[in-house]
Amino acid sequence: MDLGDKDKFELEKGSEDPSNFHPSGISLDWRFESANLANTSTGLVPTGNSMSVCKEDLVGSSSCSSASMVESFYPSLWEQPTNQNTLGFCDMIVQTTASTSSALGFRKGLPGSFRAGIEKNLDQAWNPQGTMIKGGMFLPSAAAKLPQSLSQFPADSAFIERAARFSCFNSGNFSDMMNPFNMPDSISPYTKGARMMSGPQEILGGNRFLAEEQSQRNDQGAVGGSNTVSMSVDHVAIEGNPQKNESPRRSHDEAKKGVGVSGNESDEAEFCGGGAQEEASILDCAGGQPSPNKGIGLKKRKRGGQDTELDHIKGVPEHPAEPAKENSENQPKGDQNPTSTANKHNGKNGKQGYQTSENPKEDYIHVRARRGQATNSHSLAERVRREKISERMKFLQDLVPGCSKVTGKAVMLDEIINYVQSLQRQVEFLSMKLATVNPRLDFNIERLLAKDILQSQAGPSTLGFTRDMAIPYPGMLQPPQSGLIQPGLSGLGNSSDALRRTINSQLTALGGGFKEPNSQVHSHS
Amino acid sequence: MPPSSIEKAFLKKWLKGLQALSSSSSSSTSKKEMSIFERKKAIKLSADVAMASLKNGTTSWSRALIQNASKDDNNRTLLKNMLGSQCDEKLSRGPTTTSMMCSMRVRSKRVLRRSCRWRRVRKITKDQRVHAGSMAKRLVKKRTQVLRSLVPGGEYMDEYSLFEETLDYIMSLRAQVDVMRRLANASEFSSKS
Repeated sequence: MDLGDKDKFELEKGSEDPSNFHPSGISLDWRFESANLANTSTGLVPTGNSMSVCKEDLVGSSSCSSASMVESFYPSLWEQPTNQNTLGFCDMIVQTTASTSSALGFRKGLPGSFRAGIEKNLDQAWNPQGTMIKGGMFLPSAAAKLPQSLSQFPADSAFIERAARFSCFNSGNFSDMMNPFNMPDSISPYTKGARMMSGPQEILGGNRFLAEEQSQRNDQGAVGGSNTVSMSVDHVAIEGNPQKNESPRRSHDEAKKGVGVSGNESDEAEFCGGGAQEEASILDCAGGQPSPNKGIGLKKRKRGGQDTELDHIKGVPEHPAEPAKENSENQPKGDQNPTSTANKHNGKNGKQGYQTSENPKEDYIHVRARRGQATNSHSLAERVRREKISERMKFLQDLVPGCSKVTGKAVMLDEIINYVQSLQRQVEFLSMKLATVNPRLDFNIERLLAKDILQSQAGPSTLGFTRDMAIPYPGMLQPPQSGLIQPGLSGLGNSSDALRRTINSQLTALGGGFKEPNSQVHSHS
Repeated sequence: MPPSSIEKAFLKKWLKGLQALSSSSSSSTSKKEMSIFERKKAIKLSADVAMASLKNGTTSWSRALIQNASKDDNNRTLLKNMLGSQCDEKLSRGPTTTSMMCSMRVRSKRVLRRSCRWRRVRKITKDQRVHAGSMAKRLVKKRTQVLRSLVPGGEYMDEYSLFEETLDYIMSLRAQVDVMRRLANASEFSSKS
């Protein structure tokens, strides 16, 4: 649902005039203009943030889900005073479009004036806000910030630029950022000077404008910390007011940038540094920004926690995938390391083995030294040995149950040892069982089979052995037959005697006629 | 799962040995009733020897197993019955050379180990850091040692052969367990009913 809305939103964005920021089909009216975003509190629960109030206004008709999301996100994220504004605004906008429930949306055909008004509101609302929602708290942040952001939304080009930048911010690191405007590919090359505009443009369709601004802003150092791409997108949409608080925007952009650049905190630091001057005012308003890196880091982490929500909301499936991929890439490397060490051990053992066994194979094995490997004869032989051993280990892996996932020689050896021990123990146990069952060691297979035949047992009692296997048995049985069969027969009775006799006779006749009874025997297996 | 040919052959041989055992026990008047433990030992021994004899001396573990069994004089008769005279001779002849070589190897290894022990101790005291690689190596070595103790005749094998023998030994053990289980179930069932 959210995704659907988002798509719609994006489509609309694309189709419409870039300057027009039209959320499609959003029921929620654009209340920015009217709102004193800091006032009303309806659906969205204010989290003690002025933005929340604005949020309510904006989200008003929208479901409270977004609000709740924002709430949950709010306390954790909304630490940094600055940079929230732009983000909030963007979030709001995006949120409305993204989720039907949120109902945050910009009516189609909102004129630039409206946007300007909204921006102004946002501007007002944002300044006290100061906290940037980081990482993907798209909807929640949007919901939360919208009210505030609307009021505080700076209507300056810088703001728009930042918004655009943020919107483009969805590169790999955005996993926790939950960039609703999922622009993974476009964002990945996002660097200081990168034009990530392609991403936002998808969403808003109007990021072209912002793109230019963002390029300007890229150099700025303000570390908003709020990485919500939506913010930038919103900003882009708003466009009309680039004069927003530069710091929020910048921080926004930078936060987004940081995210876009795979969580490159250094970038954010740069942002912080660059935008110091511009941020001064905002900082004052916001009561000072916490150390940008720290804040960003915190927010990022927090955002990460909210990822799942944001994912839904933002409907940006690709975006989180990138960081996830990166994470997964690191893991296999870690796994490879132990195996490499294991291989080293194999090599060492191989060397010893090589020394002890003078001629492992009589024929010459031509081994070619691989690139980057020692060409010493000893090492080559070691390698050959290692490979042979690893091959054997593979066989053993297949043989020993539950070893397919195990890698490494030591663990494999452990499993093998356990398996062999268990098998040996089973042999002991079964021999004891047989000893108890059979007091005279007279395993009269005929009797057993006959029993099965008599009872037509297909259960565990059947041995499952074909008759041909028992054919030589009578031969063996001849001398002890009398002694063995007698006690066995004693418990069976006359009927079984007759049957047994027939069985015996047939046995001697190469068991041709025992196909039928054998089938019963075989039925078990 | 239907029994494989190996299992069938094993059962044949095993029952043959059991018959020999029972006949011998029944024939001897002094010991008509074997204790349960003796019975169990006889069953196990006959099973192991039957499984080993199937290999016809191709694998070293089977050879070692039969050799170990033949060391005990009590089992001589059983082995003779099960394996036939030729096998007995072959085994008595064959392993001597290999066992000599193996024992020599073992002795040389022991000497080497003793000589290196001093150096090793000094080295360890010098460098207290335990690298992960060395630790893993030690683990592998320890476990290889345990595996050698499990597989019959494993002490004399090199690492590569040890793995091959382990493979074969596991397969044989599996078949043995399968047959024994079937027989036990059948016997149990037949005795119950």
